[in-house]
Amino acid sequence: MQPFGTHKGHLAVLDWTDVNTDLIIPARYLKRIERTGFGPALFADKRYVSGGAPDIDDPSRHGLEDPDFPLNDPALRGATVLVVGRNFGCGSSREHAVWAVMQAGYRAIIAPGRGEGFADIFESNAFQNGLLPIELSPEDWGSIATAGRDHPGRAEVTIDLRDQTVTLHRPDAGSPQEPEPRFAFEVPESHRQRLLKGLDAIAETLLHEGEIHRYEQHAPAWLLPRDETV
Amino acid sequence: MPETLFAKVWARHVIAATDQATLLYIDRHLVHEVTSPQAFDGLRLAGRRVRRPDLTFATVDHNVPTENQLDIRDPLSRRQVEALRANCREFGLRLYDIQSGHQGIVHVIGPELGLTLPGLTIVCGDSHTSTHGAFGALAFGIGTSEVEHVLATQTLWQGVRPKSLGVEVTGRLGPGLEPKDIILAIIRKIGTGGATGHVIEYFGSAIAALSMEGRMTICNMSIEAGARAGLIAPDETTIEYIARNQRPFAPRGAALEAAIQDWSTLRTDDPSAFDRQVTLDAGQLVPQVTWGTNPGMTVDVTGVVPRPEEVPFTNPEDARRALAYMGLAPGTPIGEIPVDVVFIGSCTNGRIEDLRAAARVFQGRKTAPGVRALVVPGSEEVRHQAEAEGLDRIFLDAGAEWRQSGCSMCLAMNPDKLQPAQRCASTSNRNFEGRQGPGGRTHLVSPAMAAAAAVTGHFTDVRQLLG
Repeated sequence: MQPFGTHKGHLAVLDWTDVNTDLIIPARYLKRIERTGFGPALFADKRYVSGGAPDIDDPSRHGLEDPDFPLNDPALRGATVLVVGRNFGCGSSREHAVWAVMQAGYRAIIAPGRGEGFADIFESNAFQNGLLPIELSPEDWGSIATAGRDHPGRAEVTIDLRDQTVTLHRPDAGSPQEPEPRFAFEVPESHRQRLLKGLDAIAETLLHEGEIHRYEQHAPAWLLPRDETV
Repeated sequence: MPETLFAKVWARHVIAATDQATLLYIDRHLVHEVTSPQAFDGLRLAGRRVRRPDLTFATVDHNVPTENQLDIRDPLSRRQVEALRANCREFGLRLYDIQSGHQGIVHVIGPELGLTLPGLTIVCGDSHTSTHGAFGALAFGIGTSEVEHVLATQTLWQGVRPKSLGVEVTGRLGPGLEPKDIILAIIRKIGTGGATGHVIEYFGSAIAALSMEGRMTICNMSIEAGARAGLIAPDETTIEYIARNQRPFAPRGAALEAAIQDWSTLRTDDPSAFDRQVTLDAGQLVPQVTWGTNPGMTVDVTGVVPRPEEVPFTNPEDARRALAYMGLAPGTPIGEIPVDVVFIGSCTNGRIEDLRAAARVFQGRKTAPGVRALVVPGSEEVRHQAEAEGLDRIFLDAGAEWRQSGCSMCLAMNPDKLQPAQRCASTSNRNFEGRQGPGGRTHLVSPAMAAAAAVTGHFTDVRQLLG
């Protein structure tokens, strides 16, 4: 997975609450057996003019984008930081939701409410893939969302995973001496380290082979599923 | 220090821990065709094997059609099913394939096979894995990368242990009320994010009175309240279920005696151990019907569609969007909302007791004109049992369709889908926009309530039909 150290990028704001995984990536796209190609299928049933949702086996084939869908504002092209509402990613465990967000170009997502910005499984899947899920206080989130909404295509942030801060580069900042707002966030240390290093979780786990083996030696007989009917 | 059931099960499975992360052993890994292809590819690319093929069990459920099952028409569905067959062959895994005798929805066949037991950790690439918590197991859904990790190492890293939410359900369900109504009422009460960061434990007189299937319905929908998992402490009901029917993998004889000894400690010592607690009185419940686009948007069948300003936990703007999508006007009595399609099935309500509840309502009645009703058993075993009891005849005589087992119309991945704007009374677990087909309008209800809607053509208080 790609390491994440610091990232400077433009904001795109979709501030709906309770955005569920069926909205993020409809179930029919889960028929793909590849890990790639999900970018055009992000918000497939909201993003395109009726009938224009991408083909399942070749999502690069799709119809016209719906100009009313907030993320389709041409000014937002190239945005890499997605600002979303509370409880983003609720619903299914489908990791495809994270793949779709990343393959559409986003490297980080910002949601409001410590412990409630992201649904648990979505957050876990995000860390697995190097998509950084940042939960800010509702006030701090509000400042960023407002900047993104008021200045589409021109609001930028710098995310620093080493010191766990998000700095807002306000496009309407008055004097250059005005300090840029800086907001703190916190991700679990184990995830932070793995993201900073771009580590493979399985290789890291297999360093514990001895302990796993010892644990398995102590399993009581009833725990093992022996097929008695054979 | 009093401890929760959840904390005890967690503690038994810790292999290693830092102050930020814990490595847990996984006792059972259930696999299906949708979330596994990329995981097996990952193993292959890294030259790794499955560490414990004996603890890994696969089936096909999401993509399979529920009629002419051996003929999967959709090429992508067929490709996914074939990928799982090839992967199971290559990695030496047991696969309950179509018409193998034990195929079905993964969370229906696990308990049937005797794989689900108290005190175990159970994972699957599917959020409704929480179902197995009904046995006092710690069971939760994982994404594809974690599926790969479990295949390779039989372990999973978890962050800080989730908090616990104790949900006490007092009283007893009245006639016409079902376990589905309990869980819908809980989600309505605490909201779809109400249990985020928590594991729920359900307890109380109403819970203790439930059968294992009723407990599975409740634990199944824990995820819809944002919970990581949901558990119910094992008791005599649990042991009786495990010991009956010669379940292929259930412990028996001396092994079962040893297991029962072990399970006797699996309960929460005292409710004060919970981080949070919520109470609900089952005796006060009225049959529930969701009106909106998440499972928390629920009202009594005797109630009306709410105004956007009065929807709990929801911005009026989002509530307006939900009303527009569902084509509903505030103030409309639920009992006046007509249905086009009725779906009885899913990992929530596709077991034999659910079919019996629906059959009691269908008996001697016919589906209303213009209503299409689909009854889908959750597994081959459920189907055989239902046919032995003559339930299939009741459904067919009523004009409903009787299908073979699979996830069916719960989510639009197989031929059973809603057309745009069709309104469905469904015994499944999610009513998100487009869940059952783009533009489809889903209302979640219990099996008895679904059957009532089928025979009257609109949402109906089933208590009136049961006399």
